[in-house]
Amino acid sequence: MGDMEGNRTGMETLERDLAALSKMPGLSAMVDNVDTIIEQLSKAREKVAAARDPHTASMTMTKLQNPIKLAFDKVNDNLKDVASRNKKLGKALDKSFPLENLPADHDAMANQPALINRAIAMHLLREGQFSVASTFIDEAQDIAAHHGLYSRVGAHDDTASPEGDVLMGEDDSSQGDMLLSITASSSDHQELSSLQSQELQAKFAEMYGVLQELKARNLRPAIDWARSNSAELEARGSNLEFELCKLQYVWLFLGPTINGLPDDEYNGRSGALLYARQRFGRFQPRHLSEIQKLASALVFAPNLAQSPCKSIFTIDSAFTDVASSFTREFCSLLGLSAESPLYIAVTAGALALPYQMKFTSRTKSRGTEWTTSTELAFETPLPKRMVYHSIFVCPVAKEQTTDTNPPMMITCGHVLAKETLQKLCKGTRFKCPYCPSEGQIKDARQIIL
Amino acid sequence: MADQEASKITHSNHLLLDQPLLRLPYELLRKNFRGAHFHFEKESSSVKNLLRDTATGSLDGKVSPDDVVKNLDAMLAKMRGMKRKLSAYAEEEAHLFKQVDARVAHLRELSDMQTVEDVKYEAWSRQRLDRLLVDYLLRHGYNDSAQSLASERQMEDLVDIDTFVAMSKIRKSLESGSVQEALAWCNDNKKELRRMNSNLEFMLRCQQYVEMMRAGAELKMVEATTHAKRYIVPFSSTYPTEVRQVAGLLAYKPDTTVEPYASWYSHERWTKLADIFVEAHNQLLGLPSFPLLHIALSSGLSALKTPACHSSQATSSSQPSHSTSLTTSVCPICSTELNELARNVPYAHHATSHVEHDLLLMPNGRVYGKQRLEEYAVKAGLPDGQFKDLVTGETFPSDKLKKVFIT
Repeated sequence: MGDMEGNRTGMETLERDLAALSKMPGLSAMVDNVDTIIEQLSKAREKVAAARDPHTASMTMTKLQNPIKLAFDKVNDNLKDVASRNKKLGKALDKSFPLENLPADHDAMANQPALINRAIAMHLLREGQFSVASTFIDEAQDIAAHHGLYSRVGAHDDTASPEGDVLMGEDDSSQGDMLLSITASSSDHQELSSLQSQELQAKFAEMYGVLQELKARNLRPAIDWARSNSAELEARGSNLEFELCKLQYVWLFLGPTINGLPDDEYNGRSGALLYARQRFGRFQPRHLSEIQKLASALVFAPNLAQSPCKSIFTIDSAFTDVASSFTREFCSLLGLSAESPLYIAVTAGALALPYQMKFTSRTKSRGTEWTTSTELAFETPLPKRMVYHSIFVCPVAKEQTTDTNPPMMITCGHVLAKETLQKLCKGTRFKCPYCPSEGQIKDARQIIL
Repeated sequence: MADQEASKITHSNHLLLDQPLLRLPYELLRKNFRGAHFHFEKESSSVKNLLRDTATGSLDGKVSPDDVVKNLDAMLAKMRGMKRKLSAYAEEEAHLFKQVDARVAHLRELSDMQTVEDVKYEAWSRQRLDRLLVDYLLRHGYNDSAQSLASERQMEDLVDIDTFVAMSKIRKSLESGSVQEALAWCNDNKKELRRMNSNLEFMLRCQQYVEMMRAGAELKMVEATTHAKRYIVPFSSTYPTEVRQVAGLLAYKPDTTVEPYASWYSHERWTKLADIFVEAHNQLLGLPSFPLLHIALSSGLSALKTPACHSSQATSSSQPSHSTSLTTSVCPICSTELNELARNVPYAHHATSHVEHDLLLMPNGRVYGKQRLEEYAVKAGLPDGQFKDLVTGETFPSDKLKKVFIT
């Protein structure tokens, strides 16, 4: 979409075209000309009403014909102008933003309203849009309760694909039984309430509270949270609690002129030392060297900028860094991804859609259906940060490994898909396709990447 | 490098989902113009005729001066009415142009970004998500939610609340058994519906007939026959099956179980009519037949999905980009929000492996990047030569670890 004119994008061209169109007269010009007609008619009316004689009346009316006709013609011209402006807009759109047909024959999401609603509700909650979320949950439940029956029936007699129903365990609307439909819709209903939106909302409210405080450079609520969840965080290998305490030490160390906290014995270098004595003890076994570095700062204190610990005390991005670590850990403990999955999925969708459309337009003539397979038939390259798992593609079969066809490491350390290995096998032995070594199938072992 | 290629914004195809954003106000502008044009044609010719007749009548002495005044008053009333109407059309036009400007400005912002890593891109893409959400909410009739999200995000000009609220009113009236609103809409869009070969009006007329039959009274039967002659019979060559079936209804009572007559009497027909209406409405305004969010999601879920996302085993490693601080971020497809939704979509196609560097195999079968294992061992305070499994927490001496080669 969008012919490039030189280096200009379609939208830049369109923006310029629009600026030109906005100078052309619109429908409001007609109103002015209609006013002229009204004025002429009123004048004539006054004249005839005042004289009340047939001669004046017929004279006035005859004289009125031409000007009124002209005025109407003008309005007509206005209309033509507006028509041509609209036409130009249409042409500008076609040129800079030509229509491409979006996939329209198969809506894989049509059977999942309850799951999509749930994803949206959770998205709104995690974005802190609590009032929109509660409006939405109410409205969705109302409509589900009110409409459920009809829309269910409607959905299953035309296009519903059978696999859709599998998703909702208890939703067996394929039997077309009214009662079942009602229970199905009330299970949609529960789908949203089972979200335990209250609980989730409370959680996210807590998260926003802590983030708000972090923004205001108050670390205490974050430290309290990290401490009360220290066991889980440690199990995840997270050192968030130590990072927060470390920053708190640095923050106190920098003193009242920078941190704006009261100038007392709990602030400044002495305050930092006090804090370290109280809090760093339990981190000793793990973070000894770092704690030593922090403590040595006291020695360098008068001339920190030239000291080897300078980097620790440069806190430009430290608060945003701990804020994003905190968000990640907080969401992870809830089993949720740190960024809104809905946001990532939609962004990925916008990036992948052109590949999908290119592929479908190429294969449509051949009648191949990509939706039926378990794997897309085309590549959808995404930026690295949108690839979350390790991907292992068997170098021989060029297929990704799965639960049923897992990666196997052979004795030389090379990895192949299980099915590939079985095909390579002659009897119980095989030769590695990547090095001269040979092995026995029993020595190959499944690995978890 | 490949990643740069994947992150690059291709301006010519990054806005596929955003086509209706400009197409809809354009269609509405045309519709608005047609309305103004039609109204002007009708009223102006009636004023012109009255003016001419009054002038000739007055010349011939057939129209008295008092009647001339009366006629002039009538013309004035018409013209004032016309002015009111045209002002409303002009206002709507200005409103639509303002929307177009705002939307083009929003889409144009993307022109300054070359990659999705641009900090401004996230804000833009979030706004796109908000737009798609509002579109989804409106299409499902969650109008209050849509309104509150739009005003919360201050993006009223980027979403089409009025259009969809008007649509959902008509849809609701159909679902509650009234054809009047839908018929009025058909009347407003007569020409376009005819051009589209829409069967909406015919189906609505059939439903009216069905309701007359259902009422069953003698008087209604006469009315029903007149109705059928006027609105249904003329379509016997276009919709022969339907016309035949509707004609046959005369012989069946509303409680019949005989098909297809039972279906004609069924209350589910109202849902069907609502669906036909929504389809005609969307087609007429050039709107996709299902929510844009569905298109984005089905494409995005697949692009993100890997076989690991619904695997029974917790995977060991993750992309290096997600393990900077040792701990990893949960994958969006594995996250509660989308996991079930993504269960039946195909997973992404990859032609090459993407794994951490220097993979090591632990005796329990799990594989991790060396760097991550070393970091974790330090953080866990393990003695030298000991490594800890990041998922299971088991500890192993380094000589039990084996190098893994990914080709």
